[in-house]
Amino acid sequence: MKNTLAAAIVLALSATSSLAQAADTRINGFASVVAGLTNDEDTSMFGYNDNISFKPESLFALQIASDLGDGLSATAQIMSRGSNDYAAEFEWAYLSYEISDSTQINAGKLRIPFYRYSDFLDVGYAYTWARPPQAVYSLVFSTFDGLSIVNNHTLGNWDSSIQVIYGSYDGSVDLVSDEDPATLNNIMGINWTLTYDWFTARAIYAQAETSISFENNEDPDRLLNNGIALVGNIYPQVASDLNVDDDIGSFIGLGFAVDYNNLLIEAEFTTVDVENSIVAKQEQYYVSVGYRIYDFTIYAITEHGEDTNEGDYDYSSVLPVSLDITGYGTVYPQGTYQALIASQEETIDTATIGARYNFHPSAALKLDITSTKINDADAINVLSVGVDLVF
Amino acid sequence: MKFLKTKLCITILGLTSVFAQAEIAVVVHPSNASALDSSAISRIFLGKLKSFDGGGQAVPINQESSMAATDEFNSKVLNKSGSQLKSYWSKLVFTGKGTPPKVVANDAEVISLISANPNLIGYIDATAVTGTVKVIAKF
Repeated sequence: MKNTLAAAIVLALSATSSLAQAADTRINGFASVVAGLTNDEDTSMFGYNDNISFKPESLFALQIASDLGDGLSATAQIMSRGSNDYAAEFEWAYLSYEISDSTQINAGKLRIPFYRYSDFLDVGYAYTWARPPQAVYSLVFSTFDGLSIVNNHTLGNWDSSIQVIYGSYDGSVDLVSDEDPATLNNIMGINWTLTYDWFTARAIYAQAETSISFENNEDPDRLLNNGIALVGNIYPQVASDLNVDDDIGSFIGLGFAVDYNNLLIEAEFTTVDVENSIVAKQEQYYVSVGYRIYDFTIYAITEHGEDTNEGDYDYSSVLPVSLDITGYGTVYPQGTYQALIASQEETIDTATIGARYNFHPSAALKLDITSTKINDADAINVLSVGVDLVF
Repeated sequence: MKFLKTKLCITILGLTSVFAQAEIAVVVHPSNASALDSSAISRIFLGKLKSFDGGGQAVPINQESSMAATDEFNSKVLNKSGSQLKSYWSKLVFTGKGTPPKVVANDAEVISLISANPNLIGYIDATAVTGTVKVIAKF
């Protein structure tokens, strides 16, 4: 479905140059070349390890947009990521129609506007940092198939933009392994951004019927899978409330940004929850402060994330401590349940300092040091140097 | 009469240019009766406002980023540096939410396009203004 759609749009794009005289086709692109390393030989962070690597965050992208006239246009963005061995993939492919001067509808493969920078996560040139704060920008799926309607209007001196999305996602998320097969149906969301000159505020609510499979769990003992199966044999309802099967997942995001004279302040707070499931309630925030000095911007970010899991129903008191099963032995439903719930809990604290230097009208050089502490483990430091450009 | 006004205008511009070296003029087609303040002009050039107050479609045209008029316009009217503006547009371009204005090479091209199209709005060095376009603001 996705590929068919993408192919249709590319066909539409290539056809326009020959069929419609008036069609106006533009090619834009962006690229990032980033080198980084960590100080820890055992744990990788942002894809880096203790040897310098260029692959994890380098990327090249081309966007072809064709204006077919009368408010209709087709756009495809093809991206090649180092983390994906530079295989080219369609990141976006959609048709746009301007219903009026203030309202536009997009249909196809689109970005989910979870975060303030969701729409241009990969366009490093568009933001100050080396990368958006990862404790907050933690949802690994960023696109969906569906519709987006954006309305821009003014409220007094404020610019107001309301976006409504509807669609589905079929791919993977990063929960117990790096690639847990996931399906999100009936994704619905509303995203409201208000801007007044130097001040921007933003709020989003989105929800979806969420199913996530744990079949790719890399844990050799498969404690999660076996644990749920074990509890489920005796207490099917408990297993059902642990599994992520058509459960309503919700996302709330609030943010603001100040760009006043040369001072830049930004903050976002987000919360993710999937009801009746083992998925922990995730709350994250970051605060970033930056200062522009001519072509330089220096910045510092502090981030905090907390995944807590009391369980949507606390079965601890209902489940027996131990149970003897004939022909199997003794099992410990209460302990297993508590261990499963606790396995999803995590605390993350991150501190970053960095600088951006606009050394060319279309390119920026960035230097960034980020220190990340997960639970009680030692902090892992990542140093990265990169160039972002747009063309 | 109109011609006379323009001539007068040029004379005055000629005088003021002694004091303000790079004054820029925002120009439209002579038939365009819109009154635009600097905030409305800025909104048009940032893609936030798409029509004139008279109702006609407003299409901004930029000059090459190497032109002095562009720098002046960006900093005086849009209040942004070249790279801030580039980053502003890259956010819109790569998300399908907007397209930066068309870019032309110099004042003469702006004048020739605008004198032929009532929907266009552009900026030029104030000393380059001719009778074929109408100045609606100077910065």
